Amino acid sequence: MKWKADWGLRGRMALTMFLLFALYIVFIGVLSQFASLFAIVLIMGSFSLAQFFFSDKITLWSMGAKKVSEEEYPDLHRTVGRLSQQADLPKPTVAVSDSRVPNAFATGRSQKSAAVCVTTGLLKTLDDDELEGVLAHELAHVKNRDVMVMTIASFLSTIAFLVVRWGWWFGGGDDDSPQVWVAILASLVVWILSFLLIRTLSRYREYAADRGGATITGKPAALASALMTIDSGMSKVPKEDFREQSEMNAFFIIPLKSDFIGKIFSTHPSTEARVERLRELERQM
Amino acid sequence: MGLFDGLREVLGIRAEADATRKADPEDLFGMSTAYVTMEAELGYESVGEAALCFSEVDSADFSDAVEEVHEILEVGAEETGTETEARTDDYGYSWVVLDDPDFEDLVTSLNFAADTLMERGYGSRLLAALFAFEKDNQYAYWVYSFRRGAYYPLVPKGTSDRDSSAEFKLESNLDGELDIEENKEYWYALLPSTAGRHPWE
Repeated sequence: MKWKADWGLRGRMALTMFLLFALYIVFIGVLSQFASLFAIVLIMGSFSLAQFFFSDKITLWSMGAKKVSEEEYPDLHRTVGRLSQQADLPKPTVAVSDSRVPNAFATGRSQKSAAVCVTTGLLKTLDDDELEGVLAHELAHVKNRDVMVMTIASFLSTIAFLVVRWGWWFGGGDDDSPQVWVAILASLVVWILSFLLIRTLSRYREYAADRGGATITGKPAALASALMTIDSGMSKVPKEDFREQSEMNAFFIIPLKSDFIGKIFSTHPSTEARVERLRELERQM
Repeated sequence: MGLFDGLREVLGIRAEADATRKADPEDLFGMSTAYVTMEAELGYESVGEAALCFSEVDSADFSDAVEEVHEILEVGAEETGTETEARTDDYGYSWVVLDDPDFEDLVTSLNFAADTLMERGYGSRLLAALFAFEKDNQYAYWVYSFRRGAYYPLVPKGTSDRDSSAEFKLESNLDGELDIEENKEYWYALLPSTAGRHPWE
């Protein structure tokens, strides 16, 4: 089974990464003019590294997800096992989070430390084929090491944000030094630009995971139908369940809707756009 | 992990590339001699059954290819006497179950089936070939992973557990005779839905 490679997507992804990289090089150049700012970089660097190492645990914990055993969820375990085999991936940890919001996410910095989590709402909402499609999409995120890619991509963006927020503090306290203001202004520009680039990159990674997932199951239509089911299911969920989870949006198969998020700010492409691409794959089969 | 895998990860196409990677049937034939060791040295009798497990693709062409597999096996049955049966398990995976008291014919027929799917361009959908053995009323399997081109032992204990010590014994005794998957993370548990039955039943 071979689909036409999506060179447009690959090209756009490479270009986005290149722009982000170039932006960061310039940013490092600017930062290096201010020795004291490197203290921030060091502190943040170690913080980021720690976050990267514990990210899987932190993410699971913040979602209230629990690792489940083969006896508790035999079908889920088996489905994940078979899909992993097709994806050529060691079977990840399987976790379930008790929530009415139908959603799923994957975490872990490598294939070995990966975990796939689904909510109880998702298990209730989807049929077997649709669930398979969603799980395969999450396994594709693991295969493509998306947690690591996004961690690296956002690292300097976070630092830029910190300089904007606390830079004056590191200026040695004398407010007359204009250089600090230059650094803060540069950081502000870097932060805004990198924010947009990271969001764009994140959307491309979603398209790539949709493609990867569809290749694993061999059923693009099932994933498309799952996306539409989740999308319409979201509106039936009470609002209070959303608030506590919305900061996890970047990890979800479909982000929780807020009343207004502009297209360029969203981490995921619209469901319609994703379904349209899956239809294209279905046609090619 | 090579440089290319790293590059594929960066571009977000590793999932796609690995899921569609061609099957590796290279070492499948190791079983046609290893079964002698199983019987003579370890006391595991072949139960005369083997099965090929593959994941479906949602297309007419794929269904045609599966039909063709069964046609070829039927024609081959005149020569080998291998009886075949198509099965779908509870998880939507398809099996071609082969039945033949002559073990070498079993391997030959299974290879026919796998080859046919590969020729039709669906080699990447082949997950595993299972060869069933029995000792003290317990089934044990040698599983050939087409995704990785290597064997691993599988001894189910009930429906959600495995007999690791029996698997360890099988691994140590046949190491060298079979090409065994070194990384145990890839020893996928293809367990039966009912205790004491085959995974494809």
